[in-house]
Amino acid sequence: MACLLFTVPGKAQQTTLTAIGNVSGAPAEMKQSELKSVLMGEKQRWKNGKRILIALMKTNTALGKTTSSKIYDMSGDELNKYWLSLVFQGKAQAPVFFTSVSDLQNFVAQNPGAIGIVDKPIAGTEVRAVMIDGKSSF
Amino acid sequence: MRINLKTKIWLTICSIVFMFSFFTLFYFPQQQGDLLVNNYENEVQNLANTVALGVKIAINEQNFEGVQTAMEFVKDDPRLQFISMLQSDTIWNAKHDKFEIKQKVFRTFPEKVHLDPTISSNDSLIVKKSNFATGMMSGAILLGFNTKGIEASKAEIKKTSVIVSCIVLLIGILIGFWLARNISVPVLALRDAAHKVGEGDLNQKIKKIHRDEIGELEKAFNKMIDDLETTTNELNEKNEVLSATNSTLNDTLEELKKTHAQLVQSEKMASLGELTAGIAHEIQNPLNFVNNFSEVSIELIDEVLEERGKSAPDRDETLEAELLDDISKNLEKIAHHGKRADGIVKGMLMHSRTSSGVKEPTDINALCDEYLRLSYHGLRAKDKSFNATIKTDFDATVKTVNAMSQDLGRVILNLLTNAFYAVNEKKQQNPAGYEPTVSVSTKNIDGKVEISVSDNGNGIPKKVIDKIFQPFFTTKPTGQGTGLGLSLSYDIITQGHGGELQVDTTEGESTVFIIRIPV
Repeated sequence: MACLLFTVPGKAQQTTLTAIGNVSGAPAEMKQSELKSVLMGEKQRWKNGKRILIALMKTNTALGKTTSSKIYDMSGDELNKYWLSLVFQGKAQAPVFFTSVSDLQNFVAQNPGAIGIVDKPIAGTEVRAVMIDGKSSF
Repeated sequence: MRINLKTKIWLTICSIVFMFSFFTLFYFPQQQGDLLVNNYENEVQNLANTVALGVKIAINEQNFEGVQTAMEFVKDDPRLQFISMLQSDTIWNAKHDKFEIKQKVFRTFPEKVHLDPTISSNDSLIVKKSNFATGMMSGAILLGFNTKGIEASKAEIKKTSVIVSCIVLLIGILIGFWLARNISVPVLALRDAAHKVGEGDLNQKIKKIHRDEIGELEKAFNKMIDDLETTTNELNEKNEVLSATNSTLNDTLEELKKTHAQLVQSEKMASLGELTAGIAHEIQNPLNFVNNFSEVSIELIDEVLEERGKSAPDRDETLEAELLDDISKNLEKIAHHGKRADGIVKGMLMHSRTSSGVKEPTDINALCDEYLRLSYHGLRAKDKSFNATIKTDFDATVKTVNAMSQDLGRVILNLLTNAFYAVNEKKQQNPAGYEPTVSVSTKNIDGKVEISVSDNGNGIPKKVIDKIFQPFFTTKPTGQGTGLGLSLSYDIITQGHGGELQVDTTEGESTVFIIRIPV
């Protein structure tokens, strides 16, 4: 999985990704495996009980494609199918996809427990970068 | 076949109840069941469509909110059996010139359910399919709901229908009894009461009056009985009055009959009185002959005895024989006139007798002649100064006619008496050149005998001509006439002999009475 996370596809523009989270819900740091579990929909709630809300860029954006390939190791369609399966069977809360980073950032800021993937660290009153294995980017 | 009112009411109620029961037990549940199934299928189809739309949006726009909401809604439905997403794959042949589309199950909820993509609806399951197509993937949402809810609803509807039918049946029976009690029973009671009233029992008033149209009928019936009773009482009273009046009338009729008989007898006696003088005159004439011939015969006998007392030379036997012959002739004349007097007396007796009603051959001319003389001499006997010219014209061809001679003679006598009375009245008025004349004639005309009695008296006034044949009508002074003469004469001619009695008069100049009787 670590290999999957940090392998950069040839077509991708960005090489690094950053996880951001709501300051009142998402943890400030976590392990990479824990992040993977959260983003795959395997984990529904944070330890503090807050419901996990995943925010991703749409797969037709460069960041979305990078996220899809780098984190999920899937194409955009495969990612959609994956989440469709989970949602259809009621196994997970589907991510919310955005077309702009700012929208994604606003969503994370406004929803406690939200966690999103962007291309560079962002700092705000309600949003913070989640350290993955002690690093802000991966 | 006669169907009474109660049966008609029950037939109507039963028909309505049975029709309603059929509707509620069979048609209504079936229709409601079909409606439920139809609505249920539409609902399932709409859910499948919603999920398919959510899937389409999720794939195309990466917005899973719709499909997530729809799935949450579907998953929470207790009727859900499964929801499956089918994926359509295009399978080409080896040459890549033909393909077929195969559907396989992509995901199913609940996961443990393994189903055939071609599954269809059955009695316990409703299966609906909604296709979707995106650039990434094409397929369909297959949604399966059980029909337990529908079956439960159908059972509930049937149960409700049975209960409603039972209630309707019960209400129908109650209405039937109520109608029978409020319509049939009072109507039958009215019918029975009407029958008894018809038989005369008026104590049949309806005591319990209903508060509806039948009550109005009962009131009308009671009023009819009251009116009938009043009318009956009035009729009874009037009957009593009529009965009393009838009794009085019967008594009066009896009195009238007696009076009439007495008057008839009086009239008969009056006519007999008219006859008496004539009869006396008629009898006097033969009696004179008898007396004269008797005296002459006594003288002739004395002469015969005187001749027989003479000696032979003086005794004239020829004279003696002539005298005896004269005596013999006188005795024959005495006998003849004695018989004539006897006939007159017998005639008087016959006249006084009540008519036998038997017709016998009667010589009309002789009858007229006899009563003409009796009438004339009767009047002359009363009034020696009275004189009148008597004319007769008897048709020799008039022979005997079957008639009640006493009655017919009484009619002729009555007409002649009136004629002589009329000319005598006029004579006493001393008109210049007046010569009282009474004529009697007979004729044989067309199988009838016509007897005319005419006079040249004062005639009959027009104002009384229509009344002269009415009983008790008379123009004579009180005590001189009963007013029954012409009335009885009319009855004798018309009813007794089938003939006719006519009068033709000219006021101040003459009167003719004409009798016609069939031969």
